Amino acid sequence: MGRDRPSLTPYIYLSPVIVLSGIFVYWPLIYTFYLALVKWNLIAARRPFVGLDNFHGVFTSSLFADATWNTFLYIFGAIPLKVLLPLAVAVCVWMCAPRMAGIYKTMIFLPVLASFAAVAVIWLWLLNPIAGYFNILLHKVGLAMPNLLFDTRYALATVLGVSAWKILGFNTLLYLAGLTAINRDYAEAMRIDGANDRQIFRYLIWPLLTPTTMFVLITTVIFSVQQVFTPIDMMTKGGPSNATTNLFYMVYQLAFQTFNIGHGAAATVTLFGLLMTITVVKFRLLDRFVKYADR
Amino acid sequence: MIRFSTPWTAAAHVVCIVVSLTMLLPLLLAFGASFKPDNEVNAALPWPTAPTLANYVRVFEELPFARYLWNSLVTTTLRVTGQVALAALAAYAFTRWQFRGRDMLFLAVLGAMMIPHSLTMVPLYIMMAQLGWFDTYLALVIPNLAAPFAVFFLRQHMMSFPKELIDSAELDGAGSLRVLWSVMVPNLRPALAALSIILFLECWNEYFWPLIVTESAASMTAQVGLRKFLNEELGNEYGPLMAAATLVCLPVIVLFFLAQRRVMETFVASGLKG
Repeated sequence: MGRDRPSLTPYIYLSPVIVLSGIFVYWPLIYTFYLALVKWNLIAARRPFVGLDNFHGVFTSSLFADATWNTFLYIFGAIPLKVLLPLAVAVCVWMCAPRMAGIYKTMIFLPVLASFAAVAVIWLWLLNPIAGYFNILLHKVGLAMPNLLFDTRYALATVLGVSAWKILGFNTLLYLAGLTAINRDYAEAMRIDGANDRQIFRYLIWPLLTPTTMFVLITTVIFSVQQVFTPIDMMTKGGPSNATTNLFYMVYQLAFQTFNIGHGAAATVTLFGLLMTITVVKFRLLDRFVKYADR
Repeated sequence: MIRFSTPWTAAAHVVCIVVSLTMLLPLLLAFGASFKPDNEVNAALPWPTAPTLANYVRVFEELPFARYLWNSLVTTTLRVTGQVALAALAAYAFTRWQFRGRDMLFLAVLGAMMIPHSLTMVPLYIMMAQLGWFDTYLALVIPNLAAPFAVFFLRQHMMSFPKELIDSAELDGAGSLRVLWSVMVPNLRPALAALSIILFLECWNEYFWPLIVTESAASMTAQVGLRKFLNEELGNEYGPLMAAATLVCLPVIVLFFLAQRRVMETFVASGLKG
């Protein structure tokens, strides 16, 4: 390695990635905290320091209450739809003969490839209460399509459902990777000892899949805040009467539609706090469950 | 292969078929509708009886959709090329040498991977405006050139690279860049290909960032073009809308079928980032 001048070369090779991450990831993250303390509309020359006023303004708005409540609804709804359902689907795919399993896997994976913008447009068409495809089918049997996206009772569930449809294939694939890693000899051994199918699932597959399940649970929870942005923006714009907005969409509206940068930044800091809390809980849980799996 | 009892296996097949159809049918219906003439869009038959390209023609006539697709293609290609090149250099530095601050710098890269876009977007937007990059390719490409996941992924692959090959290249008098380019890159081709495809998918399908930094046909991407389509021009005309959705998805799905298995495996790896 003599000719390489190892003292400097590695730093030169690393510098683009480090410098770019510093400028475009770390610096904005810090700068957000500053912006949360000033009043600014993107245009004014002065940015007066207002302390915690922005936080006060955000916390007392009814939009914030709705957005926070909905964020939790999206997270709790994600657990059955985006964590447990893909688990069941993955186990079913795994039980099928490899050739059929491959075909199922490919079909289930297709919505992951389609862009979420396109997926939103497609579901807008399917669900449209007048010209939508489902309405045309229902009309044939004398029923009418409810206006899912403009009814405060169904709108959030519909956005959640579409986002679950979009991500199902991805999470199924993660579980399948976990299932493939299970040594099938164990199942054979249990079978020889007289275990039935139910026992194999209960005492072999479920415990060995726990780390994967925890992993899917945590990534899904963190990403469900971001993942629903596209369907919210394309399908409902947060409405009707804030029924589908969440904290991330609220930040977007504050900063880029009303140009209240201070409020937008304060909401971002709040979101940061929420995500940090989830991350800490995540590492605690992962610690416990990974140890459990090693035993 | 363990065998499960017939009723269980049958139930599994039923579930798989139902789920597969639930995933496939909406996409096929949209594809079919994109070729329907105006008077058939509201028909229950999933495919057209008189297939036509009229919807596609309208997409290109009523909006600069060709330009949007072109913007997507150019910025995605530039960004992915840059991401892979810079990540390869960084991953190479991390695996090849012991140097001061190596672990700390690696932690910094990992940290950048964990910070979601949602937390940096307001200052980034301001930065783009101040630099005068708003509504240009620069805003779409430059801020995303450092891809922490790509560094992490390539580092994993380079760590298992046989040292003997590097040593023998050095004995032949190759410098460090030469070793990277002529010895490592050819041998890492499968990993690099899979990584490029994943990054391509991510960039092509990106919605949020182009939404806030593009405004006109000069830089608007196909995903945001779809939104413009929906909101302004042809929001209730589902034939042209399905044609536009098909155009936006097609490149990615074709790419996927060209490299199916590899993409799925790498997707699993990329899921392990958070």
